[in-house]
Amino acid sequence: MSAAKIAVEGVSKQFDLGGNPVRALARVDLSISEGEFVSIVGPSGCGKTTLLCMLGGFIATDSGRMLVDGRPITGPGIDRGVVFQEYALFPWLTVFDNIAYGLREKRMPERDVCITAQRYIALIGLSGFERRFPRELSGGMKQRVALARTFAYEPGILLLDEPFGALDAQTREIMQDELLRLCGATRKTVIMVTHDVNEAVYLSDRVCVMSHRPGRIVKEFTIDLDRNANREQVVLSQAYTSIRNAVWLAVRQQVTLHPSHDP
Amino acid sequence: MTAAPVTPLRMLSRLLPFVLFLVAWEAMAKSGLIDPRFLPPVEKVASALVDLGASQSFYTDLAVTFGRALGGLALGAAIGIPIGAGMAVSPAIDGFFGPLVKATYSLPKTALIPLLILWLGIGSATNIVAVMLSTLLPFVVYTYHGIAGVPRILVWSARAMGVPPRRLLWKVMLPAAQHAIFTSLRIALGFSFVIAIAAEMIAAHSGIGKLMFIYGESGSYDYMFAAVAAIVALAYVADRITVGLSNRLLRWDDIENRLG
Repeated sequence: MSAAKIAVEGVSKQFDLGGNPVRALARVDLSISEGEFVSIVGPSGCGKTTLLCMLGGFIATDSGRMLVDGRPITGPGIDRGVVFQEYALFPWLTVFDNIAYGLREKRMPERDVCITAQRYIALIGLSGFERRFPRELSGGMKQRVALARTFAYEPGILLLDEPFGALDAQTREIMQDELLRLCGATRKTVIMVTHDVNEAVYLSDRVCVMSHRPGRIVKEFTIDLDRNANREQVVLSQAYTSIRNAVWLAVRQQVTLHPSHDP
Repeated sequence: MTAAPVTPLRMLSRLLPFVLFLVAWEAMAKSGLIDPRFLPPVEKVASALVDLGASQSFYTDLAVTFGRALGGLALGAAIGIPIGAGMAVSPAIDGFFGPLVKATYSLPKTALIPLLILWLGIGSATNIVAVMLSTLLPFVVYTYHGIAGVPRILVWSARAMGVPPRRLLWKVMLPAAQHAIFTSLRIALGFSFVIAIAAEMIAAHSGIGKLMFIYGESGSYDYMFAAVAAIVALAYVADRITVGLSNRLLRWDDIENRLG
């Protein structure tokens, strides 16, 4: 247990929505090893994004505790990089300045900032777009900049909140492979929240299924796919199909258990 | 991306409303619909303007009014933007200034000019403070809403990248609120000329407002209108410079958000 990179122990959270208390999370336990890629899937409104925001240190827990390397999370930190579905690029900064942001905050010498930022710009295929502003980019380009911005300052942990949710199917697949490539090169610990079962199974070492609100983790699947195979080989394999179906069914059960979707 | 090129035809079509306005004025003055003594025809105003343009003191008056308007505007910004920003980030500051802002929002600030005369006397101080007071609230209100509307995930992103809470205002809030602040600057700029002129009419020994007042009192309406035309032109140029500057600085922003 002490070896866990990230430990979530009995974490609960309740929100107050217009005077009505809403239980978002109920005693969530989760343990993640260094270098592991874990996805959290579940019905919408199950509190998976809340869990991620708590790991990011943006929202406080009501009870229970969250540890990174054995130390409790007390707020945001540069050991945990976050990528949001809405990209959250700074619109007033260019592609270059967005990617350089975390590096400059780390007080990296400007010469090294330049080299590192340019390396990531090349890596995401946006050379020539350095001086563009986010509004001049397509959704896929923005998401690549958001990933590069987070990778560039080298946090050990990545927290991804439906990072490809706003992309079309083709761009999404390209971005998923790009993420795998970036992660493979840097050995990150990743927690990704998604509602896309295919995405979760394709990318992860482990998939956790959350229950309907109040969310807790009801099922875990260890994914053991050949990481050296290409996308076609993986997706068309029997192993992928059977685990994908099992995860899908587990999520499906959570949705059908509570057919009345409250807002 | 950029505006359509300004062709001669486009220029003409832009001038058309002004031409029609002058024609209507001329017709009104010539028809006798309004007593020509109170509404001098365009050519008399034009010749008065040429006459005024030949005198050094007219430019001094223009410069004085311009200085008072911009001085009050700068003071209003220097006080209003920090108050608005403070209200947006601190419930305590909001609790203190919020009720004051709401209570004084609809108060015409010109009503305070007689009091300002008592406190500060006749002259630039009263004028500048009057302008400052009337531009204060646009700065406060727009800055407040601009910063309060900054998406939470921008703040979170900056925090995750190591920006400490005390630097969020500089690193995220104010840059993200630039658009709102420039909008307030443009609105306040309009106010600043209005109030500077109004204050000069009753509380100054110099400036275009005073000049207009003197000409009005003595029945020299052609000269009065000439002075009005000059200050309108000056305010127009100041507005265009503000818009040009803000569109240059806000070129990262969506086109539809630009100032017109």
